Amino acid sequence: MTTPEVSITVTDLTMRFPVYGVDAKSLKKHLARVTVGGSLAKSTAGATEVTAISNLNLKLRAGDRLGLIGHNGSGKTTLLRALSGAYEPDQGQIEVNGRIAALLDLSLGIDPSATGIDNIRLRGRIAGLSAREIDARMDEIAEFTGLGPFLAMPMKTYSAGMQARLAFAVATSVEADVLLMDEWIAVGDAQFQKLAHKRLLDLVERAGILVLASHEVDLLRLYCNKVMRMDSGVASPVVDIRKLDELMAA
Amino acid sequence: MQTAQHMLRTGRRGALHEYAMALRDLKASGERLGLAWSLAWADVVARYRGSILGPFWITLSMGLMVAGIGLLYAQLFKIPLGDYIPYVALGIVLFGTITNTINEGCATFTGAAGMLSQTSLPMFTFVWRTVLRNLINLGHHVVIIVGVLVWYGYWREFNLPLAAAGLILTLLNLSWVSMLAGIASARFRDVPQLVVSVTQFAMFMTPVFWKTDSFPDRHAFLTFNPFHHLLHAVRGPLLGEAVDALTWVVLVAMALVGWTTTFIIFALTRRRIVHYL
Repeated sequence: MTTPEVSITVTDLTMRFPVYGVDAKSLKKHLARVTVGGSLAKSTAGATEVTAISNLNLKLRAGDRLGLIGHNGSGKTTLLRALSGAYEPDQGQIEVNGRIAALLDLSLGIDPSATGIDNIRLRGRIAGLSAREIDARMDEIAEFTGLGPFLAMPMKTYSAGMQARLAFAVATSVEADVLLMDEWIAVGDAQFQKLAHKRLLDLVERAGILVLASHEVDLLRLYCNKVMRMDSGVASPVVDIRKLDELMAA
Repeated sequence: MQTAQHMLRTGRRGALHEYAMALRDLKASGERLGLAWSLAWADVVARYRGSILGPFWITLSMGLMVAGIGLLYAQLFKIPLGDYIPYVALGIVLFGTITNTINEGCATFTGAAGMLSQTSLPMFTFVWRTVLRNLINLGHHVVIIVGVLVWYGYWREFNLPLAAAGLILTLLNLSWVSMLAGIASARFRDVPQLVVSVTQFAMFMTPVFWKTDSFPDRHAFLTFNPFHHLLHAVRGPLLGEAVDALTWVVLVAMALVGWTTTFIIFALTRRRIVHYL
């Protein structure tokens, strides 16, 4: 399934977040402002904008496994969400060749009162699989979760680790070319981490690109061959993973 | 997560580009209508999980309401049961679908914040989800409708194709209202309350329980009540009544103007909706 042209090209990406305060969300305030009109409206109308990413350039090709480092709020997750297509750029452009699988939030599309099997179905549908494809993969997914009879139980009876197993199994069952991950990879017990590790490496080898945001240096060394540091929305150049220490010190 | 092989996202490139992107969203949602259906179905299943009667609770409670109100008001208004029960049964069922679709439309985007903020699923998918969910609920009431129409002999004179046309027009209108409510509710948190008060008010102003016989044709209370036209276009043909041409004109005009307006608003706010949440 390897498509040679799998790539991510980000040019001059700027992302701004309008922060709509509690005040701004009240219709009355909005209407009151409109009736007041004029200059006053201008001073209060615009929502505060936070620049989450400014002028980011990035080029990744098949085989690249990029680690994202940076402090909390430095724009790592925003970048991942932009790459997943959820956030629209304010300036610049993002071009992704290949199918994207974003593993950003474990609880995505999870209904706690539904059974594990039902959740696999729904999550698979959200991830873009057809009902038939899910049926075809159900056995394989179920086996990988290692949850056995628990799959017939409601998700709310699961521990966090068990939930992570299920989510990981479904998300990685998609034939993805680009895998976006935010931190949580370390969830699960030692045995599952080993399984997950193997599956992830398989996927990356088969597919192409991994972008992983993490604070754990060991994890980054394990999975990534390149690294980029974000500092309040400004990205460093992409460097080889061997220069991780220099980059962190910088 | 998307299955497309290629994704291009850019900053603003002028108004035309925004409309093209909005149109692309609509098209993408059409290609993945199955997903909207799965989400809608999961919503209905989730709501009644663990109950024995399941979704038929909706039917049961609706049936009780129809029987109770039907018997009571038929006496109060001194209308024969055979006239009144089918009228009020269709009225309650259809009006319930209309108002629920609009009320639930408010949560179209706020209720999908998680999915919208980390996937590139089309926004329209969530609009269809709301509409389909209410259509599934309506499906459960078909039992009541069919029962009443057969029992009181209306099946001999009803006009099914016309009723279907009415239903399609009604759904077409409900979709844009529901989407507009969804966008507005995401931006302004007062909107859901406002919408609920409007639909509640509409229930009393619309001939759901009362008959229009005492009004002259085209009375202002009916002519200017969009809910009357939405309801009448489906109920009229099912009861074998003639539907005033005015109703069709109003519904078609409402669909055209409403969809155009909603689509423009969507094109303008599409980038921002995810940040409203």
